[in-house]
Amino acid sequence: MNFIRFIKESFQIVIRGSKRYYLWLAFLFILIVWGSTGYIAQLKQGLLVTNMRDPTSWAFYIGNFTFLVGVAAAAIMLVIPAYIYNWKPLKEVVIFGELLAISAVIMCMLFVIVDIGNPLRLWHMIPLIGRLNVPSSLLSWDSVVLSLYFFLNLGVVSYLLYTLFYKREYNKKVLNPLILLSIPLAISIHTVTAFLYNGFAGRPYWNNALLAPKFLASAFCSGPAVLIILFQILKKTTTFEIKQEAIWKIAELMAYAMFINLFFFGAEVFKEIYSNTEHLVHLKYLFIGVGENRDIVFYGWASLIISVIAFLLFLIPKTRKNVITLNLGAILIWFGVYIEKGIALLTPGFTPDTLGQIYIYRPSMAELKISAAIFAIGFLIFTLMTKIAIAIVFEDFSIESLRRKKR
Amino acid sequence: MKTNKKRYAMLIDLRKCIGCNTCAVVCKSENNVPLGVWRSWVKRVEKGTYPHAKEYSLPIVCNNCAKPICVTVCPVKASIQRPDGIVYVDPHRCIGCRYCMASCPYGVRYINPLTKIVEKCFWCFHRVDAGLEPACVLACPTGAILFGDCNDPESEIAKALAENAVQVIKAELGTDPRTYYIGLDQEVVDTKESGEE
Repeated sequence: MNFIRFIKESFQIVIRGSKRYYLWLAFLFILIVWGSTGYIAQLKQGLLVTNMRDPTSWAFYIGNFTFLVGVAAAAIMLVIPAYIYNWKPLKEVVIFGELLAISAVIMCMLFVIVDIGNPLRLWHMIPLIGRLNVPSSLLSWDSVVLSLYFFLNLGVVSYLLYTLFYKREYNKKVLNPLILLSIPLAISIHTVTAFLYNGFAGRPYWNNALLAPKFLASAFCSGPAVLIILFQILKKTTTFEIKQEAIWKIAELMAYAMFINLFFFGAEVFKEIYSNTEHLVHLKYLFIGVGENRDIVFYGWASLIISVIAFLLFLIPKTRKNVITLNLGAILIWFGVYIEKGIALLTPGFTPDTLGQIYIYRPSMAELKISAAIFAIGFLIFTLMTKIAIAIVFEDFSIESLRRKKR
Repeated sequence: MKTNKKRYAMLIDLRKCIGCNTCAVVCKSENNVPLGVWRSWVKRVEKGTYPHAKEYSLPIVCNNCAKPICVTVCPVKASIQRPDGIVYVDPHRCIGCRYCMASCPYGVRYINPLTKIVEKCFWCFHRVDAGLEPACVLACPTGAILFGDCNDPESEIAKALAENAVQVIKAELGTDPRTYYIGLDQEVVDTKESGEE
């Protein structure tokens, strides 16, 4: 009975909100409806509505997937500095970080489903029903660790919110090891995702030992960017008490992560240019184009320039502590990494392909629509979960408040 | 070395190849390969200037590697290596994730536009199992393609592999290809294929 009432009340919380909240929800709904038309077309005609072809067999969908695994990983990696620097609201950082991780993993799964084409084929990927090629296939491994990560985070955050709702003490002996376990798991999901590309001798652009470390560095830029913005909103609208220094510290750590990311990138560029083998062609395709084909040069430079600007904004204390430049930096760093993972990682790896052919890939309208819809679904889930979590953590939404209401 | 285990291999003698494309065409008809995709094809490269010029032909089929990366990476065990070395795709298991296509260094895998799953050359194992030769071997007008069990020292292919200098494509990638060539010119291999798309 209590559970049904909890669901009912949560529903009430979710549908009530400020004008801005409604506008945000309306925006997400429009994106979802608009994107669904693209997905219906894809279901009818198959992946032909995308611009993926045999030479570029993976593209924008898997790029988005890769980016979001990074977001999911970094949301939890933020617990490490929260613990080390003793930011006061450790529990809150854990709760909102895990909610973000859950939403990001859901988006990852959706991107895999749309990339496969016919969603029914996913049956083969379910353990015991299908025959998973574990451990030799990294794609199977990735689906296993991602599911594990998803259920672990779901379990931890549900338990935390449940105890808060019932005003009980949570069992630290159970919870703390689980939170500690989620940290190495966060690092490992992104490492496995990097290894997905890393192991191909036939694709020199990815066959590079720096790929996994670079993934982790860039993830630590993109994931906390969302949380920086969320924490500021929470601070203004609720009783959430995070020290301003903590937010600045996150930005500072992101600057260091971005420095490592850029340094790794520089090391890769040096190795390719100085040794000047035929493998240089992929980097050339990204930054100067091969022959007449300059289609993704824009993305290569955009990602690099945006990342450098965001790095400088977060490095210089003055701009880091200014509200406007701080948020601008958070948005820029998100897009810098997004372009890098979405376009600059996948497409040059496939172009030119193993036969030396150049197939110009640009995401099709259907791909853009479907991706927008998936992001909207993810952020809708994140928004609704956060709304309920805020009510439980800050607004005294609890079993007692339900009982009081009844009387 | 004599063993009872079968190990199939293919040997293409480029000195005999006249670049007629018969192998590519017969492959399409034998295996119902739809328009727009090819299971095997002939790469053509021109070298030199007239009068010192020559056109080289290089028939490409799946290498049916001894260490196939596509089998390693397939998430659902749809890419399978048979004990006799033939690598094939189980159409009932393939989920169309295209991970194998990303891993293959030879670009021999394609998505069938009708069934929307991955296909590749598997040396016509339906014919081989019935005691016949693969279609391309049968159709080649100059007899440039040999196919057989290289573990059997009396087979034609085992003798040819022993008596000739043979090469494979991209030997450095650790896949251990089992489609051998006689007279393979590295320059022809390295020349980029002109794209169809």
